[in-house]
Formats: sequence, structure tokens, C-alpha cells
Amino acid sequence: MLVALFAFAPRAQAAAPPTFTVGWSVYAGWNPYFYMQKSGILKKWADKYGVVIKVQRFDYAASLDSFVAKNIDACTMTNMEALDMPAAAGVDSTAIVMGDYSNGNDAVLTRNGLTFDKLSGHKVMLVQKTVSEYLLERGMVMNGQQAKLNTLKLINTSDSDIAPAFLNNKGNEAVVTWKPLVSQILEDKSVHSIFDSSKIPGEILDLLVVQTSVLQRPDGSGERFAKAITGAWYETMSQMAGGPQQLAALKGSAAASSDTLESYKEQLKTTALFATPKAATEFTTSPTLKQKMELVRQFCFTHGLLGKGIKSVDDVSIAYPDGSVQGRKDRVRLRFDAKYMQAAMQGKL
Amino acid sequence: MVPVLEMEANALAAAPSSAAGTAIHVDRVTVSYAVGKNTRKVILDEVELEIAAGEFVVVLGETGCGKSTMLRMILGQEQPTAGAIHVAGKTIDRVGASCGYVPQKYSLFPDRTVLGNLMMGPETANYHILGRLKPSFRAFRKAVREQAMKQLERMGLHATDADKYPHQLSGGMQQRVAIAQALMMKPTILLMDEAFSALDPGTRGSLQQMLREIWLETKPTVVFVTHNTAEALFLASRIIVLAKQTGPGRAGAKVALDMRLPETGMSLKKNGQRFLDLVEHIELCSQGFEAAAELTLNFEGNAQ
Amino acid sequence: MARFSPFDIQARPNYLLGQALSFVLFVVCLGLYIHTSKARHQENPEDRVVPSAAQLRAGIHSSALEPAEEDDYIAPEGAGKWERFRHSMIWKDTASSGKRFGISLLLFLPAILLALHIGLYPYFNAGFMRFVLFFDKIVALSLLPILIIVFGTDELSKISLIFIGVAPTLILDVIQMVKAVPQEQVVKSFTLGANDFDVTYRVVLKQIMPQIINSLRLNLKPIMLFLFAGEMIAASDGLAYRIAIMRRHMGMDVILPYVLWVALLLFLVDFGLRLVNKRMHPWFQS
Repeated sequence: MLVALFAFAPRAQAAAPPTFTVGWSVYAGWNPYFYMQKSGILKKWADKYGVVIKVQRFDYAASLDSFVAKNIDACTMTNMEALDMPAAAGVDSTAIVMGDYSNGNDAVLTRNGLTFDKLSGHKVMLVQKTVSEYLLERGMVMNGQQAKLNTLKLINTSDSDIAPAFLNNKGNEAVVTWKPLVSQILEDKSVHSIFDSSKIPGEILDLLVVQTSVLQRPDGSGERFAKAITGAWYETMSQMAGGPQQLAALKGSAAASSDTLESYKEQLKTTALFATPKAATEFTTSPTLKQKMELVRQFCFTHGLLGKGIKSVDDVSIAYPDGSVQGRKDRVRLRFDAKYMQAAMQGKL
Repeated sequence: MVPVLEMEANALAAAPSSAAGTAIHVDRVTVSYAVGKNTRKVILDEVELEIAAGEFVVVLGETGCGKSTMLRMILGQEQPTAGAIHVAGKTIDRVGASCGYVPQKYSLFPDRTVLGNLMMGPETANYHILGRLKPSFRAFRKAVREQAMKQLERMGLHATDADKYPHQLSGGMQQRVAIAQALMMKPTILLMDEAFSALDPGTRGSLQQMLREIWLETKPTVVFVTHNTAEALFLASRIIVLAKQTGPGRAGAKVALDMRLPETGMSLKKNGQRFLDLVEHIELCSQGFEAAAELTLNFEGNAQ
Repeated sequence: MARFSPFDIQARPNYLLGQALSFVLFVVCLGLYIHTSKARHQENPEDRVVPSAAQLRAGIHSSALEPAEEDDYIAPEGAGKWERFRHSMIWKDTASSGKRFGISLLLFLPAILLALHIGLYPYFNAGFMRFVLFFDKIVALSLLPILIIVFGTDELSKISLIFIGVAPTLILDVIQMVKAVPQEQVVKSFTLGANDFDVTYRVVLKQIMPQIINSLRLNLKPIMLFLFAGEMIAASDGLAYRIAIMRRHMGMDVILPYVLWVALLLFLVDFGLRLVNKRMHPWFQS
């Protein structure tokens, strides 16, 4: 208890050579951070901007906890978690890199040809209150089964055990999870995918989120950090996309999750990477993002993910690059900032 | 006191100990156990002993000579390596209700009151778990209860002690209850293992007195193990001394001295020098089997 | 007032001082918490990591007086506090965790009886002892994937996790107790005409009963630990399920009351067992 309290105590601000810590967790769209650090790309960019950047691998939940406790400066997370973890907890956060969106990585799988209209009353295994539940709800809604949402029997299942738990008991008829677990489960020929994230493109986004307070540091070191990591990211992306370094980049990223190259490539097929700063900027500044975020924030609010004290969906607001705000103007907690991606696009980094 | 003793002396003389038949037969019993690959430690070496009904046999010997082992074998708790134990004509191979038993400690059940401890024997021996549902059990229980209260009184305990738990009693009282508990079964054979050894001298004396009176009254066969020679002379009608063989190659104990006492209830006060002679003789015997054999010849020669 | 001498083994602090000292750490913890909470709220008024008193009050209210999110129940207008509590999230979770807890306690009964037999009967000892010793060294949590495969994700896997985690220790403990019963007691019982059944259940079991209860009291925490592990892996209700869900969005305002609630429940169970022991076994000297 005491240790926990001390750990939560506000960190003393480091002096001299400004050091920044980026937390990431294993996922097809985030594995490149591993390669980025190993290959020295990150060091090159950090040196250019006179900062030190440490990259640390976490379990996903732990990385979010650390970010909310302000123990790390930046962290990879989905748009949904960015909203319901740091933003809803009052930690002003800024998404500076639009990494990718899930384009089939997440899927609803069923046995025996079960479809959405027959799912009512059946048990569904999933990690509750995450994008999995979001995907399931979107699937139900898009298949006209909105009224039956409450009749599903959701079993909150830890992601570390969800695949064997589902596969080894024929009584489990539906599961919602993500790759590579999806591929693993689909090896059972009686299981089929009835819905996946490719049907809701751009709704499950993978971001790099930085503490807004870090970006706004008066000495400008936060901005330099943001520039360095954005620069490094897009250099990594260009290597992944093609050229002589492609194989090394893919192998290095696959190694981050101990996947084989084939398996990793398979995962990338259903991950829509914004490989160029141009694509990322375009999406971030488009009105589409607002539409997608509207769906996500409504989901978070109706599921109480914004917290017990939040009485209106507008109390956790989102700001966009064009200056518009979703929700109350005085309660902006999550910001999409395309500035650094734009700079990368224009070659100004 | 004195008239009783005289009567006793006469009774002893009139009834030779073998008349009532053999109660316990220790039939060429050897006990040994393996200590290494090829060596065995011998505890008892072909011990042969017949105990007649109504005898009060005290087994003496130095620590580790096997006297408690012998008692445990008569009880059925241990088995001889060779030979056999017969109690009332039957070979003993497990603990049964043929003998009453009073150990040095842990004799009473801590979770039962004094009364409960006393009633335990008759109740379990006569009514097992389902039998307790029979209507006759209540009447039986009432009778046992009365009997137990009587027994308690005879042992010099108060009726108010009946509801106490063992841990609330002194060591002497606990042993009184333990003897009473065994007597509730009306045993013809009573086995006592250092039963008074943990008590202070005063308490010990009064318990010895009480035990002697019980024996004189009902004449059970008693085998009493102790290392206290004076206690032996006071209680015994017959003394057995076990002693290790000192000769090369043999280590097990044998009966070094088997002596029927001409009178019981001997004490220094009553018997003076003769008592001291006996004590010295017994203690010399217990030091070694070979030496004892020689001594005994001389001693018996002297006595006659 | 006695001299204050904390490093004196033979010191005799008076009653008041003793009582006061026993509360010092509580006060320190509370103070530290309040301080941290204040500091964090100054920096971020919406901080959820160390919730403030008002946040906690809201959290307690929503866990104890409002139905769970997945519940269809809607409190009727003007429903009393008790009525609301009986339909609350914490009540529902306590009931389902309590059920699992109770079932596993019941399952310990045969385990205890087995231990009794292993301790007393040489054949049982030969057949089971070595295996139990081996099984006791298995870290139950590492068996989780196997348990899930064998027992699925329903109640059975959670209860078997508790059982596999705690039973071997309990069995070994009870065997030790049986072996510590003096041999004289067993022998004496036989000389009093008892049979094997009497010796096993009416002499030995009765005698070690208070120790068994004490052993259970010591094992409450491991039982709870395994129950929580099971509920965090796959569940749709239960105290640990709620904590796992709340973690997803840093609901410390609910988690902290839950943690304290579990502590209170454990304390009450422990206290109850202690009371039972005192009442049922007045002869027992610990």
C-alpha cells in the first residue's frame, strides 16, 4: 500500500538532458517501435533534437496505468482507451501520431454458423469494456439487432486465456478477440468470423498519445521530443513499406512479439497502416474522424467508461486539428494534433 | 493397616501364584530392528515369562532395557520379531479391549470432561454409533453415569470435579482419573507404564497406596513398569528385572531377576535392613545380565 | 506514564500508550493517502488514481446503492436504502463470490476427512502421502490453462482452482495435526473398546477440530487469492470481476471501497470462525 502510494506520488521533473519515456505494448501496429529502437533510427532522431528517448515495453493495461499516473510521457493506445483512460481521468492527452486502424484485426467469431440474429441468450467470451465489446455492439447494430444487445451473456475473459478457453470447450459458441488470437482460433474449422473491424474502418484507431503538459513544457523540450519521435516513426514506416531495409524492418518488428515473419505479415494485412505522413494527416484532418469518434465516445459514455462522476458525454471533450471541439469547450481532455505529422509530410522535421 | 497386611501375607502364602492359571505368557520373545545394512539392534533377546492371574508384576530395569517395549507388546501396540505374546490364551497381534492401560501421560481425552472420560469406555464398548439411537441406551447411560460417579468418589475425587476438563486438574488428579477410566471397564489385566513417574513424591505415595488397595480388593493381574525400586517393592508381588547382556556379540536384554516377594507393601520403615538389601540387590541385577545370574544364586542361598 | 523505550524487550507500556501506538500506522496511512490525493487533485482535479473523499463517496454510493450496469433492475420510486442495497452491484458481486467461496469450503470437508485417514491409517498414508506432498509443491496458478481446458470457464474451473491451490496445504496441515495426537490416545481408545470408526471420528477428529478451524482461518487469504485469480480470468460477476472491469477505466473510486469491503468480509468470517471455536471447544488450549 505504502509502496503504491509512493509510486503514485508525482514525479520530480528531471533536469539537464531531458529524458522521455515512451510505453508501448505488443500489437502489429506498434511492434515497429521495437525495431525503431533496435535499429538506431530513434537514437538518430533523438540526438538530432537533443533529447533522450527511452522506449519501454509494457502489458497493455499496465502501460495505460503508467500513463494515467503520469509515470511515462507517451504511450501507444487505441482511440477508445485514450478517451476512457487518461482523458476521462482528467489527464489532458494529445494524439500526435495516427498509426493505423484495425482493418480486420479484431473479429467476432462463432461456432456452428451462429449469426447475429441468433446470438441472443448465448454466451460471448471477450475482454469486456474494450474495443472487443465495441466491435460486438457495432456488429449487432449494423445487423439490426440493437434491441437484443441486453440479452447477450458476456463473459469477461482474460486475453491470455481466451483462445484455449474458447477452443477447448465446444459449449462456448461466440468469442470476440484480436489477432493473432483470431488466426489461432480460426484454425478450428467449425469456427467462422461473422464480423470484423474491416466493416468499420477507421473506428478502432491506434495512436501515439503524449501528455499535453509535456508538449507544453516552456523550455520546448516536449515539442522537440514530439518532433523526434514523429520523425523516427515515419522513417521506420518508409522502411517497412519498401526499399532495401524492408525485410530487416519487418523481421525486427515481428521479433517484437516473437512472431514469425509470415504471421506478422498476415497481421499487417488486416492492419491499415498510415504508412506516409500524408495519409495520416489527411485522415486526422478529415471530418470522418469526428464521425468515428462520435460513435466511440457515445459507446464509452453509455458503458460508464468515462467514470461515475461524468453525467454527460460532453464532459470529456475532444479537440480536432481544425479547432473544432466535440463536447464542452472548457472540458477538452483529448486532442488530435496533426502538426507533427504535417511537418513530416512537408519534410520539415 | 497392619492387620490387612498380615492377612495379605497369609493369602499369598496360601495361594501359590500359578494356581489361578496363566494370564500373560511372554513366549520366547525377541525384538530387534535393522540399523544398518547387515546389523540389527536387539532389544529383547528370547524373553520368556509367565504371569499368573492376580499377580502384581513390577518390571524394573535401566533406561532403554526394553521394559516399555515389553509392555507395548502385551498391549498389542508392537509386535515381537520372533516369539509370541499370549494373553488369556490368545495370541495378541493388535490393541484390543483385553487389557486396561494407564500410560505416564496423555491418558485422558482433552475434549471430554472427567465424567465423559470415565463413561467413554463402557459407552463405546457397548454401544457403537448407531446403537446409541436405541431406547435402551438412555437407561444404560444413566447406570454408567452412576457407576462413574462412584468410581470417582472411590478414587478420592469430588463430585464437583466431574464436569471439569482434564487440563483443569493437577497431574495427580489426572492420573487418578486415568486409573478410574481404565477401571470402568473392569479389566482383569491392568497395564501401567511409568504411571506415577511424573508425579511429585507426596502425590506419588498416595497414588501407590490407592493402587495397592484396589489390587488387594479386586485382585486384577497388574503389569507395572517403573524405574523406581522402592515403588516396586511397595507394590509388587513379583519383581522382574530386565538387563542387557554384556557378553560379546549379544546386546539384547533378558530377564535378569525374577523374584516372588514373600510379602507385599514393603517399605524401609516397615522392613528396615531387609528392604535396603533388596533394593541394593535389585539395582545390582539391573546393571547386567551375566552379573545378575551369579548374584541371584548367592542371594537366594543367603535368604534360605 | 511509563518511560517511552521502544527498544527494550522488558518494557511495559501502559494500556493507553499501547492502544495509541496500535493506531499510529493507520493514521500514517490515512494521512499519506489524503496528502497524495490532495497533491494529485491540485495538479489534476479529475485525478482517478487516488480518489478524493467526494469521489470515494460517489463510488460507494454507486456500488452499494445502485444496480450493476448489466442489471435490468430499476429501483422503484422511493425505494428504501435496504431495498436498493439488495439490488446493488456490490451485493450481487458479493453473493456470487460468496457462493464460490462457500462451495469451496464445503469441498474442503472431504479433503479434511481424507487427511484424517492419511494421518491415521497406514494404507491411506502409503497410497496418498507422497502424491499430496508432490501436489502441494505445484503452483496452482500455473495450472490455469489446463484447468480452463479441462473444466471450461464456468464455476467449476474457479472452484477447482481454489481447491487445487489450497487443499494440499490444508491436507498436509491436518495430517500433521493427526500425527501430533499422542499415540497413547489411540491405544487407550482401543483398550476402552473403541473400533476404528470411534478412534477416527470420535477421538482424533474431535480432538483436532479446533486446530482444523484455526488452519482454515489461516487459509482464508489464499482461498480469496485463488478465487480472485479465477474471477479475473473469466467471469460475468463477482467481486474480482468488478475490480478487473473497473481497472479498465481506472475506477479506483469503486475499487478501493471494494477492497475494503473484501477486507471487512474476511475479517468477519475469521472472527466468526474464532467465535465458533471458542464456543464449541471450551477445552481447547491453543
